[in-house]
Amino acid sequence: MLKKINLKNKIALVTGAGKGIGKACAIALAEAGAKVIIISRTQNDLNKVSKIIKKTKGSSRSFVCDVTDDKAFKVILNKIKKLDILVNNAGNNRPEHFTKVKKEDMEYMTDLNMKAVFHIAQLCSKKMVNFKNRKLIGGSIIHMSSQLGKVGCEGRNVYNMNKFGVEGLARGMACELAKYNIRVNTVCPTFVETPMVKEFFKNKNFKRKMLKNIPLGRVAEESDVATAVAFLASDSSAMITGTSFVVDGGWTAQ
Amino acid sequence: MGLFLKDINLKGKTALITGATKGLGRGAAIALAQAGANVIAIGRNQNELNTLEKIIKKLKVKYESINCDVNDYYKIKTYISNLRNLDILVNNAGTNIPEPFLNVKNSSLETILNVNTKAVFNVAQLCANQMIKLKKKGGSIINISSIFGLVAGQNRTVYSMTKFGVEGLTKGMSIDLAKYNIRVNSVCPNIVLTPRTKKYFSNKKYNKYVKENTPLNKVVTVSDVATSIAFLASEAASMITGTSIIIDGGWTAR
Repeated sequence: MLKKINLKNKIALVTGAGKGIGKACAIALAEAGAKVIIISRTQNDLNKVSKIIKKTKGSSRSFVCDVTDDKAFKVILNKIKKLDILVNNAGNNRPEHFTKVKKEDMEYMTDLNMKAVFHIAQLCSKKMVNFKNRKLIGGSIIHMSSQLGKVGCEGRNVYNMNKFGVEGLARGMACELAKYNIRVNTVCPTFVETPMVKEFFKNKNFKRKMLKNIPLGRVAEESDVATAVAFLASDSSAMITGTSFVVDGGWTAQ
Repeated sequence: MGLFLKDINLKGKTALITGATKGLGRGAAIALAQAGANVIAIGRNQNELNTLEKIIKKLKVKYESINCDVNDYYKIKTYISNLRNLDILVNNAGTNIPEPFLNVKNSSLETILNVNTKAVFNVAQLCANQMIKLKKKGGSIINISSIFGLVAGQNRTVYSMTKFGVEGLTKGMSIDLAKYNIRVNSVCPNIVLTPRTKKYFSNKKYNKYVKENTPLNKVVTVSDVATSIAFLASEAASMITGTSIIIDGGWTAR
């Protein structure tokens, strides 16, 4: 009756895998038995993650790549035989009050959080569809969204726009890729103490204010998000598609 | 537990399941027991409670049952308020009498409201109070909702009214119970093949209706839903509260 999280014989690709949530996802997927392809801009970070995966007796391959460079990403995909799982994670945030958002910041974020997310998803989907046994062995795409893909927040207007967009993309993709037995979902975490969020939390006032919005009274851990990703990647969630896993300690319930 | 991957592990936990003798409730009871939880089954059919006992005891966990209608508030209250252990509630007992809105009988309305709304509330409140009284470190309540808690369907006005209600209750409870570290979520399955829905599926037109509205073109199994319930019940979901896991093969993504 209970389908345990098991990714044996699956090949997973994780973008933004050098740090934070992406790193945690890569390691969790490897722990669940997947062969993991890790992508990041920083060789040094990739080396560290590969080492951890090796230590936990997992298997990984790493490629340095900026996900906004879709040509470079295509070259990497050509080196891979098969792909079952994509964790479309690479993203960034430059918080600013709406009236003060700089044009170049908006464009930088949109290029990364939407355009690259779309390109990577499209390229990987093609690879996943091409697999002969796809009807039997399903594929799974997980977009890293956010609680801010569900509700607004001060100083987060561009991020809101990007992540609400990702929510829409996931639903559209789910409808179109269902016939190929590829599922598409998002994970929407609250604040997780990643290197990116640690920077924001240096502002103690901001941290206090944000924690007040989480009914469970704590930020999420990287493992909370990575476990949800592994669940969605596996056959434990075989009939879950076009939805979001909200890992937010109750933030959006209010 | 790995570095970043949390197991669905319920060893030492006690789970109470209403409507435990058939369909989703029975599946949840078995899945939770497979994850290591002790089971308290509430149902109305002694024979079926006995059959379940045999299955659960084979999994080497404790089992007790009470033959009781969830509408019988005082009997349930006496039972729940005397429990020595309670960590998980699967608030499952529910019913449906599909009728076109214009022809819904007053008796149908009352039957559905009594079980799906009033009993669901009462059982949740009694269990939450008992969890708090037992001074547990936390708890997890899973209300069984439906895709019809999110969207409408033919001849399901009363059912939708009650399941939309369960969605609201879930969010409200999650806020009030967060300070006790009791998480509250719902699962929203598509139409699952169970003893209750068997008669719907025997109608060819209905069968077609379900498949056509499910992009993955498969019927959700009891195991699909039970696995998500076990996930929510466990520490693997420790930051997930006030939300819904939608197990619908893409029905509500469109």
